[in-house]
Amino acid sequence: MIEVDSISKIFKEGLRGKKVRALIDLSLTIRKGEVFGFLGPNGAGKSTTIKVLLNLIRPDTGQATILGSDVRDAKVRQKIGYLPENPYFYDYLSAEELLWFGGRASGVKKPLLKARIPQILERVGLLEARKRHLRTYSKGMVQRAGLALALVHDPEVVILDEPMSGLDPMGRKMVGDLILELKEQGKTVFFSSHILNDIERFSDRIGIVAEGRLRLSGNLAEVVPSGETLEDVFLRTIAAADVEVVL
Amino acid sequence: MKAIWPLAVITFKEGIRNRAIYGIFLLALLLFAANFLICGMIMQEVGKVAVDIALSAVSFSGLLLVLFVGINLLAKDLDRRTIYMVLARPISRGQYIWGKFVGMTLLIFTAVASLGGCALLSIGSVRFAFPNYFPRFAWEPVLWALALIALMLVLLAALSFLFASFTTSSFVTLVLTVVSYFIGHGVSAIKALVEAPEAVGIEVSAATVRLVKAAYYMFPNLSLFDIKIQAAHNLEIPWTYLAGTIAYGLVYTIMIVFLAGLIFSRREFP
Amino acid sequence: MRRVAVGVLLLICLGMAHVFLLENTSRAQRVLPQPQDSGYVLPGPLLRLIAGEFRGLAADIYFLKGLVTFGRTLEQRVEDAEKEQVWQQVFALLDAATDLDPYFFDPYYFANASLSRNPAMVPKINTMLEKGLYLRDWDWMLPFYLGFNHFYYLQDNVKASEYLMLGAQRPNAMPLLTTLAARLAYKGNRTENAIGFLRGILSKTEDEKTRELYQTRLEALEKIFYLERAVAYHLEQFGDEPKDLQALVRRGVIPEIPADPYGGSFFIADDGSIQSTSDLVYAKDGK
Repeated sequence: MIEVDSISKIFKEGLRGKKVRALIDLSLTIRKGEVFGFLGPNGAGKSTTIKVLLNLIRPDTGQATILGSDVRDAKVRQKIGYLPENPYFYDYLSAEELLWFGGRASGVKKPLLKARIPQILERVGLLEARKRHLRTYSKGMVQRAGLALALVHDPEVVILDEPMSGLDPMGRKMVGDLILELKEQGKTVFFSSHILNDIERFSDRIGIVAEGRLRLSGNLAEVVPSGETLEDVFLRTIAAADVEVVL
Repeated sequence: MKAIWPLAVITFKEGIRNRAIYGIFLLALLLFAANFLICGMIMQEVGKVAVDIALSAVSFSGLLLVLFVGINLLAKDLDRRTIYMVLARPISRGQYIWGKFVGMTLLIFTAVASLGGCALLSIGSVRFAFPNYFPRFAWEPVLWALALIALMLVLLAALSFLFASFTTSSFVTLVLTVVSYFIGHGVSAIKALVEAPEAVGIEVSAATVRLVKAAYYMFPNLSLFDIKIQAAHNLEIPWTYLAGTIAYGLVYTIMIVFLAGLIFSRREFP
Repeated sequence: MRRVAVGVLLLICLGMAHVFLLENTSRAQRVLPQPQDSGYVLPGPLLRLIAGEFRGLAADIYFLKGLVTFGRTLEQRVEDAEKEQVWQQVFALLDAATDLDPYFFDPYYFANASLSRNPAMVPKINTMLEKGLYLRDWDWMLPFYLGFNHFYYLQDNVKASEYLMLGAQRPNAMPLLTTLAARLAYKGNRTENAIGFLRGILSKTEDEKTRELYQTRLEALEKIFYLERAVAYHLEQFGDEPKDLQALVRRGVIPEIPADPYGGSFFIADDGSIQSTSDLVYAKDGK
């Protein structure tokens, strides 16, 4: 379904080209129909991995495929829904127009899209505000609009980068329900978070990334031994990674 | 094409709703109003001055539109990462550039059409006020001048896309576009100057001549698109000139956007 | 409430201070030393380069600047030396306007009407008019002006007649041009021909200020023509030329010597022609 095959990426920062190793030989497999929680501290490489899947960043080595096609092929993204971290949209568009763009650009037929837009807006709670320009939206509303945009074309694979950030408890519940709903529909969900509680509640499998490497991955039940919490596992994994960097 | 059109539509909407547009239109309307004041001071060729002012107002406002609205349409996409929502769709980077460009072209055509309408209205009302001072006047060359202004602005927008495709800051894009605008309008005059320096009594080194010649072929010759004087005096403009200029504009624009797409497709968006 | 009152008060104070400072500083600005060459105008090719696609508009602006600069000399009492400088500046501005847009008629029109009052300027004006002569190939006015200037100021009847012939071939040219061109082939009749020219120009001039300029010259010429005919009559009647104009009045040929509208007084020159102490150039009374 989603295959990440030993990707590495080095960024050059600043004018002097100081090298930062963002991803090191990272491999990952996500199976059809599962909810995969991607976990890691800030700056660990979560967003970079996700951007590789969206072809926003090209890995120096290795490759990634989704649904059997290389992510560099634009057509793949017809079946992918993506919510960026801290999404920004055009200021002077309404939510309705934003979704119209998302649907049309992903090849959704006009009549179908016309029915789908109000549905999805209602689902994320933006039906009332659908005609307002996005610049008047609060951060939470923008996040909801981003979710709607990620789902408007009924994608098979949904990739959500920090979907809960900026949302109030009701919003978090809405996102959680959405993820479970997607799972019921047989969609594949890949979402990142640094909030362990969210990961624990919704994921079938998890992966922990730190310092650009995948440190741990597997079924939630297998990764977390009985008597321990995900937090214990997470902290232990991160601590081990830190030791390695120091060495 | 299926992916390009929706992008062009939202680009156009985003551009046309930008607040800066109101300012630009207000400025243009002031200039059109000033047309009356200035024309009142002209003794003989009021028609010429009316056309001058109206066309210059359209050209200048269009320039502001490209520089301050157009550049932002692309640059803000990169600055604020709104590009993610576009590239998350089945749209390649090349298609992205073309979609944005088509949207921008729609915006320019709409703006020039409405500004041009106001310009014609302003010329028409001056003519109504001073009917005897329009000794040589025809609408047709004015319309052609407007069309070439639109084409020039589209070409300039294409250039700004090229610059945006390899710079990381919208300010650099703005500066490069402004510089190309000035070079584009002056380069043919400068080329004529260095090729016959004895006419003005200056000495030019061979290296300068080569440099100017290189600039002449690299930068667009924007002065080709300026037929305001001809329109103002209703001088004859051969159709071969118009056809040639339009063809030149199209070829250069397509070449530049294509190049921008090529450069852009190598870019990453961390 | 009190905050609002204080705010309004502060705003009023600032506004008043603004007006006060503006007045004072602009007064101070007026006495700032100005550079000698404040009237300098960039050379044409450079102007064209800078103006870019706004060449036509720049030409309009330079023309208006020329108009305003000239207007200042009419309004204020300006010393003759300074006047000369201002005229050169007006010429430079109008010349720049025609460099920017050589098809633009108004600068030619205005330069010819206003600056030819100073005969020393005429050759320069003619060079300027030449710029548009062949570009404005539909226009008979420029050759007409050139013809007049050559005939009247430069006394070059051959050239004048050439220009007039050129003008006569242009569309809608006044029939007068052909007549004048033919008449210039003969010597003499200078004053009468000049009157013919001026009547022709006046019939095509509607602007009031410009009309006045030509009208004054026409008036002066008509008076000179009148005096010339009186001298001729005197010769016919009494068999000799009058010693001075007073002789015409004394012998009852004319009731009185007409006044020169330029403010000078007419006299008979050594060559026998009628001239004026004003030389038919700018008025001494500051008009």
